[in-house]
Amino acid sequence: MIHLPKEETKLMVAVHGWSGILLGLLLYAVVITGMAAVFAVEIGEWSAGHVETRSAFERPIDQPVRALGASTPEKYHEGVDIFEIGDHNLGVFFHHHELDASGAPISRGIYYQLDRDGRVASAREGTDEEVFGPRNDDALSSFLVDTHVRLHVPNPWGLLLTGILGLAMLVAAISGLLIHRHLLKDIFTLRRKAHPVLVDRDRHSVAGSWSLPFAFILAFTGSFFSFYGTVGVPIVAMSAFGGDQQALSDAVFGNPGAPNPTPRAIGNLDRIAADSIKRSGDAPTYMAIENFGRADAAVTTYHHPKAGDISQVTLLYNGATAQFEQEKPSVGTKPSTGGTLVAIMGPLHFGDFAGVFSKAVWFGLGFAMCYVTLTGLRLWLARRVERMRSLDWLERTVTVVGFGLPLGLLGAAVSFLVTMPLGSAVFWTPAAFLIVSAAVIIAGVAAPTHAMLSRGLQIAIAVLLVALPFIRLATGGPGWPTALAVGQPSIMAVDLAMLLSGGWLLWHLIGRRSKPLARSAPALQPAE
Amino acid sequence: MLTAAAILFSLIMILLLWRGDPKRRRTSGHRDGADTSSRRRLLVIATLLPGLLLVLAGDSAAFFVWLGSCVIAGWLAAQIQGPGAAR
Repeated sequence: MIHLPKEETKLMVAVHGWSGILLGLLLYAVVITGMAAVFAVEIGEWSAGHVETRSAFERPIDQPVRALGASTPEKYHEGVDIFEIGDHNLGVFFHHHELDASGAPISRGIYYQLDRDGRVASAREGTDEEVFGPRNDDALSSFLVDTHVRLHVPNPWGLLLTGILGLAMLVAAISGLLIHRHLLKDIFTLRRKAHPVLVDRDRHSVAGSWSLPFAFILAFTGSFFSFYGTVGVPIVAMSAFGGDQQALSDAVFGNPGAPNPTPRAIGNLDRIAADSIKRSGDAPTYMAIENFGRADAAVTTYHHPKAGDISQVTLLYNGATAQFEQEKPSVGTKPSTGGTLVAIMGPLHFGDFAGVFSKAVWFGLGFAMCYVTLTGLRLWLARRVERMRSLDWLERTVTVVGFGLPLGLLGAAVSFLVTMPLGSAVFWTPAAFLIVSAAVIIAGVAAPTHAMLSRGLQIAIAVLLVALPFIRLATGGPGWPTALAVGQPSIMAVDLAMLLSGGWLLWHLIGRRSKPLARSAPALQPAE
Repeated sequence: MLTAAAILFSLIMILLLWRGDPKRRRTSGHRDGADTSSRRRLLVIATLLPGLLLVLAGDSAAFFVWLGSCVIAGWLAAQIQGPGAAR
């Protein structure tokens, strides 16, 4: 592999270790929630007991949207976003674009949430920041995604933070590649009975070596999304659009053409939806209308990638006539290398380009990333804890975060299942996460030994994993026969995944009961 | 189907690589039976071959699923405590 001079190797080891130890715990929080968020849709269906399998775009949407247009002030007809919410119901946001006090573009309008029969269940007026947010039936998946995207830190700081964490992951991956002198030779070497430092080193380097390609991909694409709106767009807007971010957005993503404000009824949206399904092979995930009710209206539909491709399908229709115009690149009006690169960022980060199959692979890769991060932290500690007993607090902190975070997420899931039928899940889902986290921190301080703390947290995780499917059933969630009868396999799949992983963890922990909990007295051995 | 076949083929090659890995065998006390360098090189090429074919076929989705599956399969293969588990 790459052979660096001794001094440079030492420097790289320091960069690798300190970047990991300073940001590793936050990075772990981002990665573990990202791993779970790969299945955010399925977790949403599982937790809320959604049994509808037909997309809202496969049901009539034209009449409800047309009726909403008639009752919505014309000033909000500049743009209409249509998307799915809850159990394949419809969310419709009539809005116009404006700039906030800092010059950043925002959307202001009325956000309608429709029920299954197309009736308005709720309507909220305000900016996009104000009207969108978690709903009672998606509080759990929203919580997961929000933690992953910005660690619940307000924008833009949350996005900047996760972007920096992505860069830290890139630095760790590159420095790890440079310092590992036997990347391929050691790729299957896991010494289980060696000195603890060697055991931790093997675990970290084997998982890190195998997952290296995806560490680059996931870190780069994650940073791209974090910095895209917070750094990239403002800089490009300043340099090329006089600071007008809306003008940039219109030029890059809009549909240029001569304005024609002549009033004209919108074309048949059902016809557009049906045609887009025929062309892309899949129902739209999103539909955007520009200039609703005008002669120059344009409708864009967004779809999952076609089989064999990883970039999403974007179709453009004439809004007034509902006629298909062209397949549109994600960026600009003509296909370009930059446009293609931007288009594949999302699928490569989310892993949703080939359905459940690619999601399962991405989930596994996320798990590997979590493992690499945690074992890296443990290795850093194992190398130092022998000569610096004062690092016991850091070892406990790593364990509190490493096992406490998944425990907190499971606690949030329990809380969601119990409080969703009561209508208070939006409050209690994050509240339960905080309560469980506080309890874990107290346990981290109070536990007599680190080994007891680690084992206790793992047992709690295993018990909750096994209990969750039963709690879901006890709180009124649909059973397997009901879910299967309507063609909704994700409920059973998530139940089974939890039962199997919880059962395996319990079996593993009970099997280890007879083994000594504390590490044996260390003897000096080389770690490299 | 093509993706599954590609993954299966590479998985078998990864298991063969694991089986004859010299360092793994050495640390587990099995000094004999390790693959030669040329055999390992052939196995590595064979492991990567399905990915190359998927790229040439222009199936980017299958390529990334194959690559991710190989990563996970390799990592899991390293966990196997087969004949002469590493000490």
